[in-house]
Amino acid sequence: MKDLKHLLYFENLLLEANNELVAQAKKDKKVCVAFTCESVPEPLLNLEGTFSVRLRAPRTGSMEMSTYYMTSFLCEYTRALLERALEGGFNFADCVISPDGCSMMNRCVENMELLKTMNKDKDKFFYEFMEIPMKCDENGLNLYILQCKNHILKPLNETFGIDTSEKALRKAVENHNRICELIRAIGDFRKEENPRITGYEFHILTLATYVAPHYLLIDKLEETLEELKTREPDAVNPYRVRVVLTGSEIDDMDYVKLVESCGAYVCADRFCLGSLPGRVPIELNDEEDIVTQVCRHYITHSQCPRYMNMAKMTGRRDYVNELAKEYNADGIIYEQVKFCDPWAYEKMVGGRVLEDDYNYPVLTVDRPYSIDSGAGQMRTRVQAFVESIEIKKIQRGGING
Amino acid sequence: MAKKIGSEALGRFYKEGSKVRTRREWRGVKDTAYDFSRWLVIMGTLGKFIIKPRNMKAMLRYRWMANYLAVPMMVDRHTQGLRGEYLRMCHAEQDLIIDDVAKLLDKLFKGDRRIGNDEEFSKKVVLVDENEMTAVMMGFPMLEALSRETPSTYVPVLLNQHSMEYYMDIAEEFGLAPDVCPMPEAEAGVSINDDAPVLGACAIQCNTTCDGSLLGNGVISKRLELEDGIPVFQLAAPLRHREDDVQEYAAQEIRNAIAFIEKHTGAKWDWDAYFECAKRVNLATRCRQEWLDMNKTDYPQVFGSNLALYTETNYMAICGRVPAFAKVDRKLTKLAEQAYKKKKMMAKEYRHRAIIWGVQSHYYFDFLLWLVNCWGIAPLTDMLSMVSTKEIAEVDTPENREQAYYDMAWLTENMIMRNRTHGGYKVLLDELWDFVEEFNADMVILWEHMSCKALDGMHGMFEDRAREKGVNLVWVEHDLFDPRIISRQGVRDQINNYMRTVMREEPLDPSLEVLPDDQSW
Amino acid sequence: MKKKCNCCKLPWWSKLLIATTGIFGLLFTVYFFNLDMKLTAMMEPWLLKWYDHVDRDKHL
Repeated sequence: MKDLKHLLYFENLLLEANNELVAQAKKDKKVCVAFTCESVPEPLLNLEGTFSVRLRAPRTGSMEMSTYYMTSFLCEYTRALLERALEGGFNFADCVISPDGCSMMNRCVENMELLKTMNKDKDKFFYEFMEIPMKCDENGLNLYILQCKNHILKPLNETFGIDTSEKALRKAVENHNRICELIRAIGDFRKEENPRITGYEFHILTLATYVAPHYLLIDKLEETLEELKTREPDAVNPYRVRVVLTGSEIDDMDYVKLVESCGAYVCADRFCLGSLPGRVPIELNDEEDIVTQVCRHYITHSQCPRYMNMAKMTGRRDYVNELAKEYNADGIIYEQVKFCDPWAYEKMVGGRVLEDDYNYPVLTVDRPYSIDSGAGQMRTRVQAFVESIEIKKIQRGGING
Repeated sequence: MAKKIGSEALGRFYKEGSKVRTRREWRGVKDTAYDFSRWLVIMGTLGKFIIKPRNMKAMLRYRWMANYLAVPMMVDRHTQGLRGEYLRMCHAEQDLIIDDVAKLLDKLFKGDRRIGNDEEFSKKVVLVDENEMTAVMMGFPMLEALSRETPSTYVPVLLNQHSMEYYMDIAEEFGLAPDVCPMPEAEAGVSINDDAPVLGACAIQCNTTCDGSLLGNGVISKRLELEDGIPVFQLAAPLRHREDDVQEYAAQEIRNAIAFIEKHTGAKWDWDAYFECAKRVNLATRCRQEWLDMNKTDYPQVFGSNLALYTETNYMAICGRVPAFAKVDRKLTKLAEQAYKKKKMMAKEYRHRAIIWGVQSHYYFDFLLWLVNCWGIAPLTDMLSMVSTKEIAEVDTPENREQAYYDMAWLTENMIMRNRTHGGYKVLLDELWDFVEEFNADMVILWEHMSCKALDGMHGMFEDRAREKGVNLVWVEHDLFDPRIISRQGVRDQINNYMRTVMREEPLDPSLEVLPDDQSW
Repeated sequence: MKKKCNCCKLPWWSKLLIATTGIFGLLFTVYFFNLDMKLTAMMEPWLLKWYDHVDRDKHL
């Protein structure tokens, strides 16, 4: 297929946490709100005068300093973030808003605070820790609303003078939705039998929307969508099977590339920092205040395994099944970053349920934060999985599920 | 053989390759006679339990029941080297706990569909999590709050260090990553292996202690609710428990849990019963405070395993609901005051005063006693005993009835261990050094439970602060329920090495330095 | 007439005393030499083998 015009641009953006668009927005005197987890509602961080950046640590090498502080028992994502912070790689941030989501992320940001990694020369820098609900119910929603008001809107308003009125919030949601609609429209091309966009390309575009200011990305995303409308796929589909990739955070550009290089087309990205459900537009009404609507959207759509009520637990597996049907997947890959507790359990149960109850071929893997250090093993696992799906397809006469 | 403290080489009772010890201690006529009498009582308790046909049936059905063969040995391990008031304190606690667990087992098997299958009884049962404050049950005296996990995973590890290896392996066989905390892993393994009693009108699970508990509960509730048909309520206690803006949410969770129980059992919340329990909770709090205040002096009395194990049971599992524990609270206080007046000591010498921090190694709970006996390190208090000191409303008034929801929420949020591992670094890191000063400690022994990410994540900061304050910090690594990773000797060696190389000391009792207890219960 | 054995000639309270002392001695021996735990330690492997043969519905 012909290369997408802006793909290289987006790839280059992702090589640095402090990418050129972040630098541009800082020059535009916007406040950079760093966040670490999908449970912090993004629209509330992208108000007039602010832009959000989900922290990641591309091209992480050693993690010695962070391992000293956090030990080698904690997930590599959190250690990579702390390492980058200690190195000064996140000094562009003006504040950090983190949920007390998983223990590891919480400790990561607490270490950042205690070690004064980002706030050395900044009077107005703040760290906020939110309590986020663990159940999708009325009580959880009320908690979420209060936490967003107390730990996002209030500090932004009081510290940086950011407008947090209903009008400003509505505008922020509309802007957020625009990005989501673009990403979803691009993502829908993955449903094609011979898709005109690879999972890797799609991941690059989606990832960029988490780590760069939206207002500076939008033009290129719109152009990319237009380009895709007329893009011709390869004459012969290079992929042997289609998979839903689900699990913990993937901000490593090379991971999806590796999976696809083994012949498995990643047709749906159900992982943290992916588009499902991270880029589902928020439907607004005129009856309720914006914060309530945003929180309701996040609490109902979240697929994070820390949601513990039964409907959410069974819902997560149902969701993967629905995605597999919608995107015509042949199999499911459940992945987790090494030492991630929530996904360790979800991978175990989800993998079994999708296999035993929904009859999908399932591969469960854990992976390092940066796939460089485990590429060979991962490639072997995925290749074997692809072959097993092909054999099953032959045995079943091409019928799945 | 002697009645004097520290006069016997306690290591002599261990034999290479043996599960049990060669003999019990001679503690002088009086203390040996006392210990023997308590042994008879324990035997009586166990005999009364096993003589019931349904309990024998359960013994043959549930693998984890085999560990109860080791009950008297657990008591022996925790009374090692003790004399006088300390021996009596330990027995007061342990014998009550044994009696309480025997009753719990009896009730579980009575209602268990596989064993007693008493349906009428089962309708009055509310299953509660092991890692859960039972505060929501304080107003339901007509119901039975029973925990399946306590007797199937928690207690067996106290009895037999190898007890949970089988279940952890099962969970890993089913695809669970081995780096997760062994406690919820083992609980999940019991559920997967069809080794959990099935009974109850409903169940309350809680997200305490941690992510692991929250997620392990999901594995358990999948079977409990979707297959066994027992509805489950997940009580989500907030993590940032020191913040004001979570307390309303927490109180509402309690209201919702109570409404759930009422719906599924038909029982009605009883305020009289609640405030009776509240009084006992406050008594326990006051007693514990008095013991801790004594421990700040040169003559600590209720400390080590005497403090730790009892506090865990009384504060969390009992939560004021059992009057017998209030009697023991008073008894312990009386014994402690008695010993304090006579300036008695548990070991012949206290060379160091230590705060024990972190999550203890469950397969080596008597390690605290070993510290005293082997190296003269007095473990004045531990993280799990530094729980809420707040007294809750105990008089029945309309205002207090409203306050009660907040109190129950507070207790739930401040569950053992969780009140420190969650809630921000202040409660885990900063407050430790306050306690070091308050207790006039010269040493911190930090349990590093390698699968406890909440604790491990502060490793570097603990080191940095210890250096700043000039406090001896001894790391002791372990994997909670799994002695295959670091054995009991491995745990001891971490102290031995520190004491010999850094502190340049010789042990009080050299026979305890290296013990052949790999195969031991 | 049959002769009574020496122990039958003893008053009831001394028979009780002897029996009690005997039981006490036996129990104390079991206690002191840890015979109860040694016995249960021998029982454990048999019990574990028994559990291996119990039918279970093993699944997630």
